[in-house]
Amino acid sequence: MREPLVHFIIIGAIIFGLNAAIRGPEPRSDSGMIEVSEGRVAQILESFQLVSGRAPTAEEAQALLDDFVIEEAAYREALAMGLAEDDTVVRRRLRQKVEFLFEDEAAQEPATDADLKEWLAGREDQYRLPERRAFQQVLASIDRRGVEAAGDAKRFAEALKTGARPEDMGDDTFLPGAAGLMSQQEVASLFGEAFAQGLFAAPTDGWIAPVPSSFGMHAVRITEQQPGVLPPFDAIRSRLEADRAQQMRADRLRQKLKDLRDRYDVRIDWPKDLAPAMAQMEAAR
Amino acid sequence: MKKPFAIRAVLMSGLAAAALTACAAKTGEETTVDEAAASPAPVTATKPPSNPLRNAYFGDLHVHTRNSFDAYIFNVRATPDDAYRYAKGQTIRHAYGFDVRLTDKPLDFLAVTDHSEYLGVLQAINTPGTSYSTVPYAAELFSDDLRVVNSAFRRFGDSIRSGQRVPELADMSATRSAWSDIIDSAQRNNDPGHFTTFIGYEFTSAPDGQNLHRNVIFSGSKAPATPFSALESQNPEDLWRWMDAQRANGMEALAIPHNSNGSDGRMFQRTQWNGAPFDADYADLRMRNEPLVEVTQVKGTSETHPLLSPNDEFANFEIMEWYIGSATPITKFAGGYVRDALRAGLEFQTKSGFNPFKFGMIGSSDTHNAAGPYEEPNYFSKVGILDATPERRGSVVPEGKGDWHSYSPPDNIARYSTWGASGLTGVWAEENTRESIYAGLRRKETYATTGPRIRVRLFAGYGLDNGPLTREASLKNAYSRGVPMGADLAAKNGSASPTFKVWAARDPDSAPLQRLEIVKAWTDPSGESHEKVIDVACSDGGAVDAASDRCPDNGAQVDLKTCAYSQDVGDAELSAAWKDPEFDPSQNALYYARVLENPTCRWSTWDAIRVGQEPNPDLEKVIQERAYSSPIWIVPVERS
Repeated sequence: MREPLVHFIIIGAIIFGLNAAIRGPEPRSDSGMIEVSEGRVAQILESFQLVSGRAPTAEEAQALLDDFVIEEAAYREALAMGLAEDDTVVRRRLRQKVEFLFEDEAAQEPATDADLKEWLAGREDQYRLPERRAFQQVLASIDRRGVEAAGDAKRFAEALKTGARPEDMGDDTFLPGAAGLMSQQEVASLFGEAFAQGLFAAPTDGWIAPVPSSFGMHAVRITEQQPGVLPPFDAIRSRLEADRAQQMRADRLRQKLKDLRDRYDVRIDWPKDLAPAMAQMEAAR
Repeated sequence: MKKPFAIRAVLMSGLAAAALTACAAKTGEETTVDEAAASPAPVTATKPPSNPLRNAYFGDLHVHTRNSFDAYIFNVRATPDDAYRYAKGQTIRHAYGFDVRLTDKPLDFLAVTDHSEYLGVLQAINTPGTSYSTVPYAAELFSDDLRVVNSAFRRFGDSIRSGQRVPELADMSATRSAWSDIIDSAQRNNDPGHFTTFIGYEFTSAPDGQNLHRNVIFSGSKAPATPFSALESQNPEDLWRWMDAQRANGMEALAIPHNSNGSDGRMFQRTQWNGAPFDADYADLRMRNEPLVEVTQVKGTSETHPLLSPNDEFANFEIMEWYIGSATPITKFAGGYVRDALRAGLEFQTKSGFNPFKFGMIGSSDTHNAAGPYEEPNYFSKVGILDATPERRGSVVPEGKGDWHSYSPPDNIARYSTWGASGLTGVWAEENTRESIYAGLRRKETYATTGPRIRVRLFAGYGLDNGPLTREASLKNAYSRGVPMGADLAAKNGSASPTFKVWAARDPDSAPLQRLEIVKAWTDPSGESHEKVIDVACSDGGAVDAASDRCPDNGAQVDLKTCAYSQDVGDAELSAAWKDPEFDPSQNALYYARVLENPTCRWSTWDAIRVGQEPNPDLEKVIQERAYSSPIWIVPVERS
């Protein structure tokens, strides 16, 4: 069954089967008769035209139909021989199609505000804007001060508490001395993760030091704090709607596949060495 | 079995639905795209204020998804939405089945740039019921046997190399559908002030396998109905003319060539497509459309080659010496590397008065997984299932194959082993919006990094103040009295050199910086070009040696058992105000900054130590990550 040509024939045949299912009964006699409907002929000729950009000649049309008839005969032969049964490619594709159908069938009625509020309940954290902090900082550069940096940052903080001006202190750096409201992630992208964590864990009253970063030790003062906040319902409505629909579709697919499976009694003949462990697991379930 | 009838009924209706959907060239495999299409840009905090002195933003302008023929075939099913999710710091599924996520910060911007050739077509072939799926090699393409797949897939590579479309795949409906999904996804994921997307695609020209690929990046929310592909013409000049026509229709775009290292000297060849000599019109056409070049990515770094820059001891960095997707070795390095092309540009400028190679620098990944592997410790290469495991990318000896004495990887795996965890684009821009970042790309105020979020600034000017670029007043002074990277500086009469102010800051989550360098290229009166690399700032208080122009060794170490690196050596920020003692205002010249980190483990070393093996002895164990700024060009004074 590794022969690609066989795969091709089977898949082609199955597609034909699909088309037959949509287009209504394609007269197909059990007694060895192959009839090709006018609609089918038109479709074959059209697809030739799509690829070549022109209508087929009479000879080409005959050749296309000859080939189609052979395909149909081979398809019937393949089905009669049961070739589709153990072909993973065919089986996988069919499963894919069924899942696709199940997903598509899932209810897509527009959600009401009540539906969405119910969906939001318990999920507020996913939609909350993160806490933001504005701050001032003075750097004791690790490049310039090495191991002295921590002590120096502490001295900066002492001086700042007693009225020294931050712009008069510390080392030159591109890092902002006064930063507007930023999320922890925004702070991390400038100062590094360690500083961002330090900043968001820091008390909000007055100068503290040392807060370490990849650049050195900092004296830091939180100047404003904006707690994480859930945006108004209208601002997140469309996002809620999309998220809910996606979740419903996934749930629906899972349920449908489960229903499908539950229509069968399943018996699996485990290899002997695995059987006891599997039985134990089954019992535990 | 029971209830066989129920099964049949379900199957039939499912198949019918599938076939109907297929008529619209939609795919039945993933449906999240349609669903997500309904959702607008995410709600986030208010837009941060614009900074007139500009911030550095980091992004990737070269990302493939399942829409690319050479991604889909290697089991990549990630969508453009997935690519944006990954860039924003979320987790997505790799083709091989594991999860991937940036351990570093999220990116600031991203462009999905799928191949325009056979865009969306492989997926259509794999979707029963489409006209595409009836091609006779459909089953082979999606066989379980990778050899069968490769053999069937060869026709696509042949088609790209020849520029001839496979006749049975002339139907463009799948391409139009995928292109429309790409545009929708870019629109949906653009979040002004926080995350920028660009509509884009890759023009995949590779005549005779010589790589002339370009990414085309659109500035706005409108794009042509279909991209101009190499199956329309392999000639990049035709692409540029098409871009001119789009621009005239209000659709501004720029093209960015990449992997000049895989062009065998053709990317920057010194003649037009038809062999005619360059002229001013050609230079205008090229520069109008192609202001940037991608200098580093997974398939190697194209700044320069050791044979082209024998006096640059840092030139031997992540060098890739094969044709793309092939075992054919490169034989011609001139014309395939960026510094060499920049020099050639100066030669044309000197001899003929125009410069067709006046480009700025960016870096990107070229990932085909919708997820760039920018971080050495978090590397998963770039081609779906092909190179997804350490064994498949040559960093680890497969089980049962002994050790590196007894095992040497097959050719294709050996090639993957030379690829790198690179790269990113840095852009200096006022704010994180399409308009602002695109304007930064246009003015070439850009730089490339090999992965880390290094920040680098470069200015040149006469009469700049003495303050550091980290002070607002001095930065303002540099912008108002001087020019930033990517710009021209008019030389002044007299022998005085302008001042070059250069500054760099480490990635807070990567190694400290080791040295800051200026790369200078210039032409002598005969029009011949030269180059020189000058260290201008050293870490740990080191002084540049005047004879060698080099910093002293700072002694940074890497422990190859753990990949831990020295924490107490190297600098967080480096800066210099440098004057060129050999400055000649009558010469054409350019200057760009290069900044090097301390050494860290290469991804292949991380792969090996994770499983307790020795690193592959054919590969570098450590590398020095770096950033390259766009040049500043000196416009010489008229010779009297």
